Amino acid sequence: MSRETVMDKETLAAFADGELSPEEAARVVMHLADHPQDQAYVDDLMAANAALVRAFAGPVNEPVPARFQQLLTPEAAPQPGATVVPFRARLRRRAPVLAGLGGALAAAFVGALVLMQPDAADPTLTAGPVAPGSALHGVLAGQPSGQPVAYGAGELTVLASMPAESGFCREVELLDRAARRMQVALACHDGAGWSVDVAMSETLSPGAEGQDFLPASGAEGVLLDRWLERRGAGLALTAEEEAAAIAEGWAR
Amino acid sequence: MAPGPDETFRTDLVALVPRLRRFALSLTGNPQDGDDLVQAACEKALRNAAQFTPGTRMDSWMYRIVQTLWIDDRRRNRTRGTTIAPEDANLSDGGRGANLPEDRMMLGKVRDAMGRLPEPQRAVLSLVAIEGLSYKDAAEVLEIPVGTVMSRLSRAREALLPQLGLSQGRRQ
Repeated sequence: MSRETVMDKETLAAFADGELSPEEAARVVMHLADHPQDQAYVDDLMAANAALVRAFAGPVNEPVPARFQQLLTPEAAPQPGATVVPFRARLRRRAPVLAGLGGALAAAFVGALVLMQPDAADPTLTAGPVAPGSALHGVLAGQPSGQPVAYGAGELTVLASMPAESGFCREVELLDRAARRMQVALACHDGAGWSVDVAMSETLSPGAEGQDFLPASGAEGVLLDRWLERRGAGLALTAEEEAAAIAEGWAR
Repeated sequence: MAPGPDETFRTDLVALVPRLRRFALSLTGNPQDGDDLVQAACEKALRNAAQFTPGTRMDSWMYRIVQTLWIDDRRRNRTRGTTIAPEDANLSDGGRGANLPEDRMMLGKVRDAMGRLPEPQRAVLSLVAIEGLSYKDAAEVLEIPVGTVMSRLSRAREALLPQLGLSQGRRQ
């Protein structure tokens, strides 16, 4: 049974939907003060509207999927599976504190990277499987967090490694100061190999005198967190845990 | 330079994709069908970009394309009901939208109730309650009179509210 109202329901609905003129709305407000059953109906309408918004909120909280990026801006997504979305600079909640380990190992990889870079002119991070033997693959497989590696015109740094539901994830940052571009990507290893779940790019603007470049749109990065959540990623590995994971080839 | 819609058109269209996906999800009830619908709508928009008048509302234009394609598809596939896979639905609540179990249940009920509404009512309710269009804008998208928008909304809510445990006189 639906609630009975004194005032006609279409007017109450128009009020709840913000369709009334200020004068009409004021008249309804006066009426509601004296008619709790009508107020309750308006409350229900607003609760239903709010529930509808939340029930279908998923797409507006997610990055635009790759298929639409490719369809609508082909030049922005050069590789299959690429997901490049603008992102707001994230706070470095996982400071690159994993210092110092595996120096020799890291140096070996740096050397290898320079030789292996397939497209050194303008390497970017794009979503999709990471080819074994590629520069990115080398970094993901063996570079400890917090140690930048030359990558094309910029430098690539693994920010942190996290355990995930089916393996591990690593957050990487590609910083190209000359081109004023920064990319952050989330790459995950699911037992079979590495793939980039999502890559986000941001234009940089100069920071204060003598400081590093800072992203132009400073705000917390909720987007990456969503992808981490989707992967069931946990807290960042300690330096020791990460070293062990590298040594074991990210096997679980 | 490849022929086709200009940069602004494409950029504006990309910016609309999240809302179009939300609209399509509310119509189809599941993310896969919703995204297929949005993809078809974007392809149609690119093919017919010349018909779009710059300066007019692209969102209304795109909502109309999405809705028309959806209705066409529904007419062709009468037997296929709206399916709402629970795991898909959970995926699409934004992850953190519904942490409390009651809240999850409520959002599940909302999706279920939407899926049961007749198509014309579902489209109107989605445009007004979720997309936030005015009655007049919704009427233009659907190419129906404002009075029809209001009556469809009214019928949609009469059906929806009791299913959500609302408007059953519990406070009266």
